[in-house]
Amino acid sequence: MNGKLNSVRVFAALAAIALAAVACGSTSAPASSSKGNITIAGFAFSEGSVLAELYGQALQHDGYNVTFKLNLGSREVVAPAIQSKAIDLYIGYAATDLEYYNKSAGEANGDVTATTAKLNSHLQSLGLVALTPSAAVDQNAFAVTKATAEKYNLTKLSDLAPVAGQLVLGAGPECPTRPYCKPGLESVYGLHFKSFKALDTDGSLTRAAFKNGSIDVGLVFSSDGDLNSLGLVVLQDDKHLEAADNVVPILRQAVASDEVKNVLNAVSGKLTTADLVQMNSQVQLNHQDPDAVTKVWLQQHVWSS
Amino acid sequence: MGAIETVLKWFSDPSHWRGADGIPTRLLEHVQLSAESVAIGAVIALPIGIALGHYGKLGNLAINVSNVGRALPSFGILVIAFQVFGLGDLPIIVALTALAIPPMVTNSYVGLREVDPDIKDAARGMGYRELAQLLRVEIPLAVPLLMAGIRTSAVQVVATATLAALIAGGGLGRYIIDGLAQFDYTKLFAGALLVALLALATEVSLAGVERLLTPRGIRLMHVRASRRAAQFKTA
Repeated sequence: MNGKLNSVRVFAALAAIALAAVACGSTSAPASSSKGNITIAGFAFSEGSVLAELYGQALQHDGYNVTFKLNLGSREVVAPAIQSKAIDLYIGYAATDLEYYNKSAGEANGDVTATTAKLNSHLQSLGLVALTPSAAVDQNAFAVTKATAEKYNLTKLSDLAPVAGQLVLGAGPECPTRPYCKPGLESVYGLHFKSFKALDTDGSLTRAAFKNGSIDVGLVFSSDGDLNSLGLVVLQDDKHLEAADNVVPILRQAVASDEVKNVLNAVSGKLTTADLVQMNSQVQLNHQDPDAVTKVWLQQHVWSS
Repeated sequence: MGAIETVLKWFSDPSHWRGADGIPTRLLEHVQLSAESVAIGAVIALPIGIALGHYGKLGNLAINVSNVGRALPSFGILVIAFQVFGLGDLPIIVALTALAIPPMVTNSYVGLREVDPDIKDAARGMGYRELAQLLRVEIPLAVPLLMAGIRTSAVQVVATATLAALIAGGGLGRYIIDGLAQFDYTKLFAGALLVALLALATEVSLAGVERLLTPRGIRLMHVRASRRAAQFKTA
């Protein structure tokens, strides 16, 4: 309509974007008290930002000058970045990271200590190190509704054995052929379900199926932010069918001083899967900022003690 | 050669012919979903097309509206219907019914429009009331086009009902979606083959129904003159 007005608008929009970019670029502690610079990366999904903020702010609070690279990308981007020293630290998952560094050799299993030891054997020559994994875990898990859990008195997967024949299992269409899914449930837990319903992997079909009762047991991820609001209970994997995807900081040996390790281990030691579900839910469902959500958790669990 | 053998082996495996994921069950689910959708579509579309064709009014509107309907992607309708109705057969039937309606509206409208005005005049002259004229003269004469509309709809619906598997429904599409997810390309190909065969079977059997329903007079009109003469001789 009006050329001049449009160009003014475009300029204003560009200026706003530029300001926003500057504002979001990096958060850093006062340089004067700095104990050194650490760059932390987050995977490009919501939980990646939560974990990066959690460990990064802990380092910041201890006096390090922390640069955040949130939403950097997938592991295929983040892992080369740490090897080229573009970043110093990222928060990985024990089993998935092991299978990345060993080029899918299938060494990961349900034992988190063994899996992390194997991971470290591959990281050693790359100048990297994985610290002690947290109890918090984001892995394949099987959930039931609270009503089902109470009805059959279920808390762990082996509790399903006597009742599986009356229940319907729902998961992605690949489940009948994957060892971590239907075949694993049959061979490790002896669970033979009444039937299997092909849905999706932890997506909207699975949620809809729980809601209208067409499945009783469904595949989810153990740290999904909406588990509580959907009234789902994750059954404990008591025979370790699933590969141990515990949260684990992975950093360059050059920055892995005792103090850095202590700060990171303090976070790992306190973090639980339930905490992670809670924080993911605040970020994903209530649209709160990861830095604010994680700061509250750090104040309550780490900095107060 | 190898690929054809593996597909044949898949079909000859008895475990693929029984149970909830067996071919008979999936075929029945597929036919049931398709038949329900075409039937509901016919109940909606045919009265509209027939009425508009009979009165000869709003014809352009009907054809344009149903052409717009044809442009709506079934997958889009399916996803929206899933959001509204949740998991189950209902969103699938809604999407397939929307697909089934347009060809039936257009064909029944054209079929009724193309009835020779002289024949309508003759019917009126013989004392037919309007409803009797519609039911006993116009609709029988429009049967070939009415059936062509139903046939087009049915074949499209059978081919598209594979989408049901995308929202956790049954039917032959299950083999295609599951085969893709399980890297089992034999299953995927077998599923596609079954859908193609079912669509062909639908086409052929509805053509048969059309022949049965077409009045003898119209059938005779299509028979070549020489054969017609021969038939008269024997009669």
